[in-house]
Amino acid sequence: MNRIYPILREALLIALVGMLAGLAVNHRLVLDAFAGRLTGSLPVAAPTNPPLPQPVLLEEVRELAAAGAVLVDARDTPLFAGGHLPGAASLPLGEFEARLDDFQRQVTATRTIIIYCNGYGCEDSFDLGLRLLAAGYQDVRVFEGGFPEWRDAGLPVATEGQ
Amino acid sequence: VKRSGRLSYHCCRLLLGGVFIWAGTVKALDVPVFAGQVAAYQLLPYAWNYAVAATLPYVELLAGALLLLDVRSKPAALLVVLLNALFIVVLLSVVARGLTIDCGCFGPDAGTTPLQALGRDVVLLALAVCVYRLHDRYRRRPAAAC
Repeated sequence: MNRIYPILREALLIALVGMLAGLAVNHRLVLDAFAGRLTGSLPVAAPTNPPLPQPVLLEEVRELAAAGAVLVDARDTPLFAGGHLPGAASLPLGEFEARLDDFQRQVTATRTIIIYCNGYGCEDSFDLGLRLLAAGYQDVRVFEGGFPEWRDAGLPVATEGQ
Repeated sequence: VKRSGRLSYHCCRLLLGGVFIWAGTVKALDVPVFAGQVAAYQLLPYAWNYAVAATLPYVELLAGALLLLDVRSKPAALLVVLLNALFIVVLLSVVARGLTIDCGCFGPDAGTTPLQALGRDVVLLALAVCVYRLHDRYRRRPAAAC
């Protein structure tokens, strides 16, 4: 069995010579890779998880809305008509496909979007957020307290036409 | 018996050498693409995929050339045994993780599944073992170093 060691040593030497030859030919590429200078993308390991709508609290909703964020009401049209956050656009989850084109014409993909529905336990705003992200919107957030929290905080409520 | 033994030694050696020259050349010609295929195995950090892609084809080329020329063919065969054993372990990990990737063994367009590649590597491993074992008995001139 000991006879294999000199041969193994020689085999590893061949591997080493081959590797050095490869490095000599491709040294620039390898150095760039280790220095992070390569711009090309490899189909690399880290699975890219789809982005999720980020939750926001009442105070942040007020600040972001004042800063120009778009408020989106995910509830059905009658509920929206009965009262909604001032300035909110209506985009019921059930009518998403039908109304997406209109929405995209009015709201560009780079704007911050805050979606709400009927508060905790209502998942329409989250589902709508996923669909808007898939449609290309980049900054989508969900106000989980929704219309009830806004109303109960004594903040102004708009009705249809306002 | 001696003649057929010698014939199988040289057949195995030439076949194995040819396969490794081919595999090495195809990959050495487009190192960045091969780096992408190494990355698809999801085993190495980003830059190391490039290091493997830059060096492995040349190791294969050198081992293949030595086998073809029958120079240092015993250590070259042992190196091929080790390489194939490594490839088999890596491919088994691919199968175990359920990845559906192109093996990349012979360039980007070969379209070989990991299971097919596993089968092929087992055959190549057997060839390399043959060359290694038959070398001392059937090589024309006994080599001083081997």
